[in-house]
Amino acid sequence: MKKALSMGFERCKCGLRWTWGHKLRVAVLALVLVMLAPRQVKSQLLDPCCAILVAGLTTISSTMSNVIGGGLNSILTVDRAIQNFEQTVVWPLAQVTQAHKLVNSTQSTFNMIQTVTRIPVNSATLPAPQQLEQILLSADANQIGQTSASYSVVYGPVPNVTAASQDVRNRIDMADAAAQAAMKRSIAIDNLANLEIQAANQINQSLQIAAPGSAPIIEAQADAWLVRANAYTQAAIADLMRVRAIDLADAGANIKSGATSTTNLGQELINLLKRR
Amino acid sequence: MTFLFFVIFSWFVVKAKTQRQVLALALAGTTAAVLVAPPRVQAQSSLVGAIQAVLNVINGIIHTGLTSINSVRTAINSLYQNVVWPVQLINLARQQVTQMIAQYRNLMWGILRINVASATLPPTQQLERVIRDQQTGDFALLTTSYGNAYGPVPVSTAASPPDRAMTDVDDAMALDTLKTLKKTDEAGTLALQAGDQLESGAGVAAPGSSPFLTATAVVASIQCQALTQKMLAADLRQEAARLAHESALLKRSTTYTGQVGDQIINLLKRN
Repeated sequence: MKKALSMGFERCKCGLRWTWGHKLRVAVLALVLVMLAPRQVKSQLLDPCCAILVAGLTTISSTMSNVIGGGLNSILTVDRAIQNFEQTVVWPLAQVTQAHKLVNSTQSTFNMIQTVTRIPVNSATLPAPQQLEQILLSADANQIGQTSASYSVVYGPVPNVTAASQDVRNRIDMADAAAQAAMKRSIAIDNLANLEIQAANQINQSLQIAAPGSAPIIEAQADAWLVRANAYTQAAIADLMRVRAIDLADAGANIKSGATSTTNLGQELINLLKRR
Repeated sequence: MTFLFFVIFSWFVVKAKTQRQVLALALAGTTAAVLVAPPRVQAQSSLVGAIQAVLNVINGIIHTGLTSINSVRTAINSLYQNVVWPVQLINLARQQVTQMIAQYRNLMWGILRINVASATLPPTQQLERVIRDQQTGDFALLTTSYGNAYGPVPVSTAASPPDRAMTDVDDAMALDTLKTLKKTDEAGTLALQAGDQLESGAGVAAPGSSPFLTATAVVASIQCQALTQKMLAADLRQEAARLAHESALLKRSTTYTGQVGDQIINLLKRN
């Protein structure tokens, strides 16, 4: 025991001697140790900083509850009022569903209209008129090219130069041209009308699955089609007016021709009487 | 980490051979210690300042922002309910639709249904009835009635082929038009029904559901335009046939004139 104590004492003395001999190194180590040593933990009860921190956080919490929480609650109240108004007054689901049903119901009416328009109206009984009628009622623009040939079979060609005067040939050719153009236009208008009915049905079908927000887009498209349909109607009316104008012109030319013939006949009779 | 640094640093200090090395280690060690040392505790005054700054932010920017958002949302709500979709005006519009249905629908239906038939003889009365009945299932009766009133196409021994062809095509164009009118009359009745449906729907619609009705009404308008075009096409065919008929008569009179002239010349030659 004594031996161990003396050994320990000797080692301490040795260490102190080394320390005394290396004062600078010990001082450096002590300095760095002090700098790296952990700081003292501050007590929550005794340190005034913690009390200030607690009071500050409590104030922040209270302010956040009142200012931010209160403000957000006010916004939520207004938003709920808006949501309720939109759901019950502006876009009530029941009315939207009812509108969908109404669109469905009108679609069946449109289908009936389409069925009616497809009923054939052919009435000719002889081969040549039947062929012309078939082309005229085809509603197929591809058949327009066959109109003139069938027309000539039924109504005859323009007389040749030796068979009629130039005036008469002009009148006949113009009348035939206006009549044929009107017939051709009627085929085109029928074709367009069928396509419009088809497109209208497509638009109405897309409306059956539309939302209140997308319905105005479909409506805009339908409006565009309506504008186009008005233009087609105007084209048809224009051709109708043309054919009536040519008809009137032909009636006028008939009177003019009659007047000329009467004058010529009178002159011939005078000449005949003079000779006698 | 700090302990490991201190152990390594101590080992280097103990093992340093010269005083210069010790001084260099001291410089490096203190610099490193400054860098790794925990931050200083803030002063009380700066803590109070930071808390106050947070409170200022909450009471200032955030409070003002939330108040502004609330004002805007309230204004939007007021705009919706008082200007864009006021409930009393929506109800007024619905009432107007219902009132106008009661005021006009039956009246106009009655005006359209006034009987305008005017024929006095049995065959023409029958024809008039069938061309005005707005049905598409009796086209055969129409053809018969038309034949009774205007007569059939002459048989081959009674007229020349051109005359027969022209009477046949004239009759065909007239019958086609009459049949087309029967079709468009029936379709027009259906279009009127669609119009009534849409108007009744408008009487119970909401602002958000009315675009469906508007769009369907536009679709119905397109259908009506197509029907009008079909009527115009039939009228075009009929007018064209009338003009073609006159043109054909002129062609024939030209032929007859030529033939009469030839016969007169032949007659004069014989004398």
